[in-house]
This record gives sequence, structure tokens and C-alpha cells, in this order.
Amino acid sequence: MPAVTFTRFLARRLTTALIAVAAVLVATFLLVRLTPDPVAVLAGPEATPAQIQAMRQQLGLDRSVAQQFLIYAERALAGDFGRSWISGRPVLTEIAERAPFTVELLIWGIALGTVVGVAIGLQAAYRRDGWFDQVTRVLSLAGFSIPTYFLGLLMLLVFFYLLQWAPPGMGRLSPLYSAPPFVTGSYVFDGLLAGKLNVAWSAAAQLVLPVCCIAIICAAPTIKQVRALALDALESDYIRYGRAQGMPAGMLRRMVLRNCLAPIVTFVGLELVSLMGTTAIIEYVFSWGGLGHYGLSAIIAGDFNAVQGYVLTLACFCVAIFLAVDLIVLAIEPRSR
Amino acid sequence: MAVTDSLVLSHGASGSLVGRVAALANCSRIATVGGAILALIAATSLILPHLSPYDAFAPAPTEVFQPPSAAHWFGTDINGMDVFTRVFYGARYSFLVAIPTVLLAMLLGAPAGLYAGYRGGLVDEVLMRLTDTLRIFPGIILALAIVAALGPSLLNIILTLGILDAAIFARLVRAETIALRKGGIVESAIAAGNPAWRVMWVHVFPNVQQGLIAQTSVRAAWAVRVSATLAFFGIGVQPPTPEWGLMIRQGGEYMLSGQWWAGLFPGLALLLMVLGLNFLGDGLQDILDPRRRSREG
Repeated sequence: MPAVTFTRFLARRLTTALIAVAAVLVATFLLVRLTPDPVAVLAGPEATPAQIQAMRQQLGLDRSVAQQFLIYAERALAGDFGRSWISGRPVLTEIAERAPFTVELLIWGIALGTVVGVAIGLQAAYRRDGWFDQVTRVLSLAGFSIPTYFLGLLMLLVFFYLLQWAPPGMGRLSPLYSAPPFVTGSYVFDGLLAGKLNVAWSAAAQLVLPVCCIAIICAAPTIKQVRALALDALESDYIRYGRAQGMPAGMLRRMVLRNCLAPIVTFVGLELVSLMGTTAIIEYVFSWGGLGHYGLSAIIAGDFNAVQGYVLTLACFCVAIFLAVDLIVLAIEPRSR
Repeated sequence: MAVTDSLVLSHGASGSLVGRVAALANCSRIATVGGAILALIAATSLILPHLSPYDAFAPAPTEVFQPPSAAHWFGTDINGMDVFTRVFYGARYSFLVAIPTVLLAMLLGAPAGLYAGYRGGLVDEVLMRLTDTLRIFPGIILALAIVAALGPSLLNIILTLGILDAAIFARLVRAETIALRKGGIVESAIAAGNPAWRVMWVHVFPNVQQGLIAQTSVRAAWAVRVSATLAFFGIGVQPPTPEWGLMIRQGGEYMLSGQWWAGLFPGLALLLMVLGLNFLGDGLQDILDPRRRSREG
């Protein structure tokens, strides 16, 4: 792709991304305006009218809507979401502390789910309409249908309560150990770096169940998508030609995978967005204490500063994923150059 | 429509509704299984709560957390209520959310997509940017945040889910409309002197209906799942309503201390219902989406 076209492509994508972030900014602002009266909830039932009035002023709720939005937008873009109404600490600090925990969960879950999903999807396509294909179709629909929190509870019921293979889903480390010094934010790596093998082991054990839950929910739609893509490729002229020429099966399969790669990356990118929601629920069920757990707790408690911070962080993260996916597809797809 | 007609006729069915359903069932085993699951859930949720000797809403303090037995097939929950009765009663809430949500989404999404796809221009641009924004954000978190802010009522849940879902229908209808606009139907309809609204509704809309119908079941599955999730997080229907998500939450707290039944059975019921809808949706897509059908062979 010539440099000019590439710059234009990038500019267009960045504009779309900026519009999306702006829309989310407006949406998060409106979200708080939707509530009947946050101050009444916040101040509690025993607050006097004078106290409520003082709180209004303190939160800036006595100004006009437009003024409020401008103030909000200016602060939010500078990363200042105010303080959590519950903990009283700055929302940005709380988010920054928790983000690594979520990223750790997400990376393992997506990696495992994508590899398993692509492998099964390709196999299902090669053995189309065979028993493997039929069974994986039903399994994939089941994984697609199961409510996330129920999957989490089910895994805990089976692997913790019944089989006693897994530790209880109570956070990222057994309460027997104290957290290793902060380096990467991942207790497994930090434990290894600090030379505390038992800490790293305990952290890894805590990771297994939530990662498997995310992987299952990630793999289910991937199987279906990869199967459809691979079937398209298998029926194409170049594969038929290759077959007619007596190309070995392994080489044919590599060609199929190579041709499906770009749409798979695009699909996984889209999946990643909905998996952010999945991860939040899994974090909640396993008391993970990451970003998603924080955001969901804030939504449930009506802690709107924290909700705004969480939603905006999530939106920026998702936009970044989309841009990254575009660039990766550009790099691996010769046709788009 | 011609595609379905020939398909139905090729299976030897008459034009009657029963004949058509039978012919569709012939086309896709997975859709038949899904439809059967849904019919079973609907029938049992209407009949079984009346046959049961227990009331789905009456607490029984002396019967708390009884394990499954001959008297209580699915055991009792923390309030001593019969889980069996409540599980079957609970299906009603899922239908109550899913059906209006999907109808609302189609009612809003289809005209928007039709207009945007046919006319293009600014309306199209705005619609696409709006739906783009919805695509870059996890729908479940958005639904949770909005319903939490609006206040948990059945109406708010349906409105929120319906509007979020409308974006998906709008995109779908828009894409098909644009594809049709390039074809001969639209051109000849315009040449024959039809006004724009007539071209859209009489000539374009019937041709996008199939794609729309193919999506309904999958979207209903989403609505059931999300509304139960809302209840699970305490921002949906409120206790003591026998709603599955809520029951999973109440039961889930005790699931890992031995009283597994109060959370497990409603969870399985929810899974079965979503599975039924997704089976049906998957089969419908096979039948109605010509591109996919050709691939299925």
C-alpha cells in the first residue's frame, strides 16, 4: 500500500475511533443524568435538605447541563474522573491499580480460547457433517448459550466443591500468602521474579478456573466462525486446483489457514470487545478484584464517578483493540496492500 | 421470498401454516430440536405451576434448604420455597422480556435500516456512526449501566435491550437494502413510477424479511441471557420474583457450601431456554440465508 493511501486509511480509522470515544463520553455523562437524583441516594435517607444542597454544590450539580458537560469532558479527557463516591479515592488510581489483574486474565483466556477455537473449527470443517462436526456444533452453541456467571458457578461447583481440584474462587492468591512486590501486576510473574515459587504456584492455581471460563466463552463462537471460513476456503478454486495437482494434505491445510487468517483476526478482535463484558462477570464471580469487578460493583452500588471512569477506560481499550486489529490485518493480508 | 417458496414446495408442503412449519422442520434438524425445546418450556411454564401443590411466591420458614426429595423434586431454597415450582414459573419472565424486546428492536431497527440503506446520505452516516459506537462496547456492560441508572423495572429492561438490539437489526436491513438497491427490482420499481416509500415497503422490505426473521431467535436468546444477568446482579427484577437470574444469585451464594440445588436448577433451565433459542436461530439462518445454505449443501 502506498504511503499516502496508508495515511488516509489510518486517518479515517482514527476519526471513527475519536467519534466513538466522543459518543461514549456523552453517553457516560447522560447516564448520570438519567438517574432520578443521585444526590438523594448518595446522601442517604437521613440527610437534611441543607446537607443535600451543600452536596449538590460540592458535586457541581447546581450548574446548567451544558456547563456540567464541559467541565466533565475536560476533566475526563485529562484522566480525572473524580473520586469514588464509596471509597473516596481517585477513580483513575483505583482503575490503574486493578487493570493489570484484568489484563492477565484476559490474555490467558483469549489465547487459550482462540487456539482451541481455531483448532476445533478447522477440524470441524475438514470433517464436515461427520460426528466430530455435529458434536462440536452443539458444544459451540452450548458455550455460546451458557450465561457467564452460571458457567463460573458450575466450574466452582464441579472443580472446587465436588472434585476439590481447584482452590475456592476467592481472589487471585490463597490467603495463606502475601502479595509479592509489584513489578508486572501479575502475581504469577511477580512471584517468580521475587523467587517465591509457592506464591507463583498459588497464583497460577487461582488463575486456572477463571481462565478456562473465559476460554470456553471465547472458543464457542470462534469454532463456528472458523468452520464457516474454512469451508469457504476449502471450496475455492485454488484449493480444488491444489487437490487436483495432488498437493499433500498438510500443505493444503496450511493454505486454508493462511487464507482464513485475516478474517479470523478481525473476528477475534470483535470478540475481544464482548469478552471484556464476559471477563467482568467472571471477575465478579471469582472475586478477582480487577477492573471488571470494580466496574460491576460500581454499577451495582450506583457509584457513578467510578462507573464513568470504568466505561470510558473500557471504550478506549476497545477502540485501541480495533485499531490494532486493522493494522494486523493490513500486515498479514497481501490483498489489502 | 421466491427462495423460501421453492424450498417449501420442494418439500411437498401446501401453503398452510402447518405445512410450512413441517416443511421447515424437514430442512433443519437443529431448528426442530430448538423449537421443540421452546415449545416444551412454554407449555410446562403454563401448566406445571398450577399442578404443583406449592405456591411459587409463598415462603415456608420450616422448609428452608431441603435437598431434592419426593416431596420437593428440586429441593427448596433459602425461603423454603419449592425450587421446582419456581423454576417452571420463571420461564414466563423470560418470554415476557424476550418477545417484546425483539418486537421493539425490529420495529425501531427495520425502518431505520431501510431508510438509511435506501436514501444514504446524512441519515445513513449518523446511523452507522451510532451503531459503530455500540459495536465497540460490550453490550452487557452497557445494558447493566443503563438499567442501573434508569432503575430496575420490566419496562426499563425491555426498552434498554430493545433499543440496543435495534442497532443490530438496522445494520442488517441496511446492508441488504443497499445490496438490493443495486439490483433490478428497485430500478424497475422506480421506473414504473412508484414513490420512494412504496419502493421501500412493497419492493425492498419483503426481500429483507428473511434475513430479519433469521436473526429474531438469536436476538431473543441474547435478551433472555442479558435480562437474567441483570437480575443476577440485582438490577433486574426484584425478589421474591421467581426469575432465573435472581434464583441463581440467591442459590449461588450457598452453592459451594452444600446447598447446590437452589442455584443449579434455575441455571440449567436458563441454559436450556437460551440453547433452544440459539438452536432455532442457527437452524433458521441455515434455512433462510441463501449464502449459508449453499455452503451447507
